[in-house]
Amino acid sequence: MLELMLNGKKISIKEGATILDAANAAGVNIPTMCHLKGHSSFTSCMVCVVKEHVSGRLIPSCTAPVANGMIIDTDSTEVHHARKSALDLLLSEHVGDCEAPCRLTCPAHMNIPLMIRQIASGKMTEAIETIKEHISIPAVLGRICPAPCEKGCRRSRFDSSVAICLLKRFVADIDLYSKSPHIPVCGISTGRNVAIVGAGPAGLSAAYYLARCGHQCTIFDDRQEPGGQLRYGVPENILPRQVLDKEVEVLKKLGILFEMKMKVGKDISICELREKFDALVLAPGKKDQYSLLSWLVKTTEKGIVIDAHTHMTSESGVFAGGAVVHEGRLAVRAVGHGRNMAVSIDHFLKKIPVTGVLRRFESRIGKIHEPEIIEFMKESDCSQSIEPSGGATAGFCVDEAVRESKRCMHCDCRKQDDCKLRDLAEKYSASPKHFNVEGRKPFTRVTTHTSVVFESGKCIKCGLCVRITEKAHETYGLTFVGRGFDTFVGIPFNESLGAGLQTTAEECVKQCPTGALAFKNC
Amino acid sequence: MVKQMTDGNKNFVTEQIELSVVDVAVAEHGRKPSAVIPILQKIQQHFHYLPDEALRRVCDLTEITPAAITGVSSFYSQFRHKPVGRHIISVCHGTACHVKGAGLIQDALVRYLKIPDGEDTDPGRVFTIEKVACLGCCTLAPVIKIDGLTYGHLTPDTVGRAIRDFLALEQRYIVPRKAGEQPERPKGLTEIRIGVGSCCVAGGSHKVRQELESEIQKIGADVIIKPVGCVGMCHQTPLVQIVSEKGEPVTYAKVNADAAAQIVRRHFKPNGFLRTVRSELSSALEHLLTDETWEPVNRYELDVRDAPVCSFLGKQKRIASEWCGSMDPLDIDEYSRNQGFLALRKCVCGLSTESIVDSLIKSGLRGRGGAGFPTGRKWTLVRNASGPVKYIVCNGDEGDPGAFMDRMLLESFPYRVLEGMVIAAYAIGASEGYLYIRAEYPLALQRVRKAIAVMKEKGFLGKNICGSGFSLDLKIAEGAGAFVAGEETALLAAIEGKRSMPRFRPPYPAENGLWGKPTNINNVETYAMVPWIMRNGVEAFVSMGTETSKGTKVFSLAGKVVRGGLIEVPMGITVRQIVEEIGGGTAGGRKFKAVQIGGPSGGCIPESLADTSVDYEALEAAGCIMGSGGMVVLDETDCMVDIARYFMTFTQRESCGKCTHCRIGTKRMLEILERICDGRGEQGDIERLEHLGQTIRAGSLCGLGKTAPNPVLSTIKHFRNEYEAHLQGRCPAGKCRALITYYINDDCIGCTRCAQACPVDAIELLPYQKHKIQHEKCTRCDTCRQVCPSDAVRVRHAKMGVSG
Repeated sequence: MLELMLNGKKISIKEGATILDAANAAGVNIPTMCHLKGHSSFTSCMVCVVKEHVSGRLIPSCTAPVANGMIIDTDSTEVHHARKSALDLLLSEHVGDCEAPCRLTCPAHMNIPLMIRQIASGKMTEAIETIKEHISIPAVLGRICPAPCEKGCRRSRFDSSVAICLLKRFVADIDLYSKSPHIPVCGISTGRNVAIVGAGPAGLSAAYYLARCGHQCTIFDDRQEPGGQLRYGVPENILPRQVLDKEVEVLKKLGILFEMKMKVGKDISICELREKFDALVLAPGKKDQYSLLSWLVKTTEKGIVIDAHTHMTSESGVFAGGAVVHEGRLAVRAVGHGRNMAVSIDHFLKKIPVTGVLRRFESRIGKIHEPEIIEFMKESDCSQSIEPSGGATAGFCVDEAVRESKRCMHCDCRKQDDCKLRDLAEKYSASPKHFNVEGRKPFTRVTTHTSVVFESGKCIKCGLCVRITEKAHETYGLTFVGRGFDTFVGIPFNESLGAGLQTTAEECVKQCPTGALAFKNC
Repeated sequence: MVKQMTDGNKNFVTEQIELSVVDVAVAEHGRKPSAVIPILQKIQQHFHYLPDEALRRVCDLTEITPAAITGVSSFYSQFRHKPVGRHIISVCHGTACHVKGAGLIQDALVRYLKIPDGEDTDPGRVFTIEKVACLGCCTLAPVIKIDGLTYGHLTPDTVGRAIRDFLALEQRYIVPRKAGEQPERPKGLTEIRIGVGSCCVAGGSHKVRQELESEIQKIGADVIIKPVGCVGMCHQTPLVQIVSEKGEPVTYAKVNADAAAQIVRRHFKPNGFLRTVRSELSSALEHLLTDETWEPVNRYELDVRDAPVCSFLGKQKRIASEWCGSMDPLDIDEYSRNQGFLALRKCVCGLSTESIVDSLIKSGLRGRGGAGFPTGRKWTLVRNASGPVKYIVCNGDEGDPGAFMDRMLLESFPYRVLEGMVIAAYAIGASEGYLYIRAEYPLALQRVRKAIAVMKEKGFLGKNICGSGFSLDLKIAEGAGAFVAGEETALLAAIEGKRSMPRFRPPYPAENGLWGKPTNINNVETYAMVPWIMRNGVEAFVSMGTETSKGTKVFSLAGKVVRGGLIEVPMGITVRQIVEEIGGGTAGGRKFKAVQIGGPSGGCIPESLADTSVDYEALEAAGCIMGSGGMVVLDETDCMVDIARYFMTFTQRESCGKCTHCRIGTKRMLEILERICDGRGEQGDIERLEHLGQTIRAGSLCGLGKTAPNPVLSTIKHFRNEYEAHLQGRCPAGKCRALITYYINDDCIGCTRCAQACPVDAIELLPYQKHKIQHEKCTRCDTCRQVCPSDAVRVRHAKMGVSG
């Protein structure tokens, strides 16, 4: 047995163990990327470094064997710094978007590429779940949204953008007019209640997501019917009221209560609401500064002052969103606000730090070059955009929707929620900008496998796939090609990815620490 | 194998590729995965590149997998995957060549051959240009090699002449096909080779040839006279070489018509006399690679009384290079006569392994490869390691640009290196071993191979050495072009037939080395020290050197120094003594600025610190390292930022690409250095370099990465003002092309030579008028300045619009 000090604690471990083994045994977590149990160590990524005080060196814990008397620090500032610098360097050569430009431009942050892939493979039930994760009233928005996402769509560099809004509407309509429209699984009742002022898109959306968390919501509005500007500002021919009614119906099924024809400040005071409810949402739509004076929150001529991230107002427990905090009348933004408020209020009610929706680390390619469009197009149908045969107001039929969805270029990373690089970049506040790079490697995509896609720019050269294919005696497998900065993982003799990964595709995708190897459909 | 491809209506039949060479290679090197590099080398020797079909065939015939062959063949820079032009032009980018303008030579070649952007071969597919790290002829810098022919002391203006000269020779079928291949000669006949390179012709070789022919007719000797291309010693022309079946070729320099007759008569007289002449001459000419000490034909031995030669040799002390200049490298009897194998015999027949290791420890000998680990301690570790199988390995992967010590030792003293290895193997208990030698050193490979065979024959290698019962089998592993293979774990990977990537230590090779067995790895020079120590005793060795660094060290002294060459000096000598007393100071009256020691892992010692003593600790304290022994002298016309960029370009290209810090970090450092040299530097770039340098130093896996920032950090430390000047748009040394401006002053006599020579038409032809350079067109190739007879072309050390 060997003895060492790990973060100030004495530990014994059997001979031959690595520092990582010792840390694991002691319940200390050390991040790794290139390491995989059962495979020989490679020691390339260097995010597992720890400080060894006897030698004064930073050493890779995945490989370094424990020696008697070592004094190891796994969490000091120096160690964090070293890990961050390794991540900064890896990110500085990372060519890939975590999220697609369409999603990044969507004010409600809907997962558009995922929805599109679900439509393309006919999984409409999954598609509505994807939509409703961020947009509570998609059938309404599918008719009125000016679709900023489509302006972000990269396909427009090739011909014209994908008809994202119509696709969303197509899925929403199928669901809304089905026998049992989608009802989200709601959390167990928390016994907490929230008052929402305003039954417009922001209020409705906040209610939807609060209800999902198990909170009881009551919406107060001075109008006859819910919908706010959707009902009283949008012409009927653009948004048939029946569509709005049906989506409000879904909300009612979630147990949301509507107190219509109740004017806050007249029929019921803000103070009363604050007394009766655990939290308060202010989403009354556009209001002038004077009419807001009685609302007891800090305001300017632009509306209620909030923390842009958490939507908290100057008063604890009072949140605001929609047109009352933001000039402009974009319904999709109001819908996004509603969800953000719900997240913050949920934190507030659970008495945990109110962070709002956490912004994730985003890797971005930025401007793409002409030849890269071809790479992006490798999985896409090259045909021109599809016009709905029944005219734009009629929307897509199934066949049209599927065809249109196949035009998507899949700009997003298909492992964005299962990427060690992204997670660690967040944890160590690493940044691709730290090293101020001029120019980058070109984006490439290999699609010559039935189910796997390989995007070399996201590869960190950890060699896990190389080791996995070698161990499994793949006929071709994957291998490192070239040397130094230009090293890349390739298939011997330029064979197809299918030939390279005959038996190990699933394992390679699973173990790839980034989105370099991913399933085409996820 | 015929491949057909259909493209529309056309049928292309690709060239039929005859793959029997693959079968031959496999039969010769075996089917094991470790045979991959020699097999690939054999295939490339045949096709001049590696056709895919051949590689697939290798996989069919052997245990080598497609993944392995792809990984290995794309890792080493020797291997090509695309067909090449008829001839290869290797442009040396060693340190000495770099400071003497290798970049300008490369550009001039590309222009002259009209090679398209991003390609390496001219449209007619005659010439392929490749950059090489170092050809090891640092004293002839700048140098290019076209197939087997070397052209030295080039200028952008004379590049065209070299090409034309080569083509003229080619038409006469006298060009050896590829580097290292000897031209065929009929068996049994002696051959007199006469240089007909342009310099030799200019030196009067035509007349010499006539004289040779008539003399041979007179005495009726059975001799072939063969004109050969330039041998690279262009300042010693004309050259005559006598090549016979046995023995080394004898080279005569500066031969005139009178001497030609003498030479013929000497060589075709009875034996005894000839032998002496041959060995003395060949060694004198081959081993002292200094311009000054190559002596004309009428002098057979170096005269130590001659003043410059005296100071050149006076401060030196030869251990590894003992008997330098007077011994035939492959004459084993001569080596034995000069006390060769005494140490070997003494050790294997009489001494206990313990006492040998003990002597080594007491001698204080430290590894000469760079890091300076005590050799005796290393041997002790391997000796004490458990297991019946142990290996001995010689690290001859000398890759530092500007360093050729190991090459010289292997070429000139193969027996001494091997003797050292035998003693080491005996001491540690190894019975098998390898010498890993770069393929770029064909002569070293050839001689070591021969020396091994001779030693086996004489009982100094193989079974039962000197009747002691101890046996040792040594093999050669030919490197394939990877600087990183100099790192010991990477070297072992290369011998095992893998990509030469270092791994984390511990375990050290002493306990877990080649094929997982305890392995002793020492550098060429380290082994070459061993016989002397064992023969002359520890006392004699420790009497030289300093407290912590004992004995001598071999350096290759090059750059802006009057007398460059290979030197062996006692530890403790100062840098200034080397530069000024041995090297004769800087040339051309220019100011001595700094010495770069240790190549891409080392740093610069500024003139102000030139009294630093040459020992491991003192050099390290000055921000340098001992390194393997490259020493490049820089003068006031050398830009330190450019030197830093030069080394970073090298390490970045040679990084194996495994660990994050080295793979990406060196690239980022290089990008910053490039933009500084390009005049696009940003405020904060110097600090960025320092930060990145520290990061890479702390985070890299192996020595290459850990030391890669040294040239940058040491130049920032000593020459920060030069970096700052670059950020302001000035290059004080006048080197960085984006930061200098050419202009013509009133001394112009209107001769039009500059206008005629300008490759980009940046100077309008105006006879008898003052000429003017158009700055937008000027590429700062320096040609105009070199051709100007009145010294009217001047360089302002700042970019346009910035005050110099």
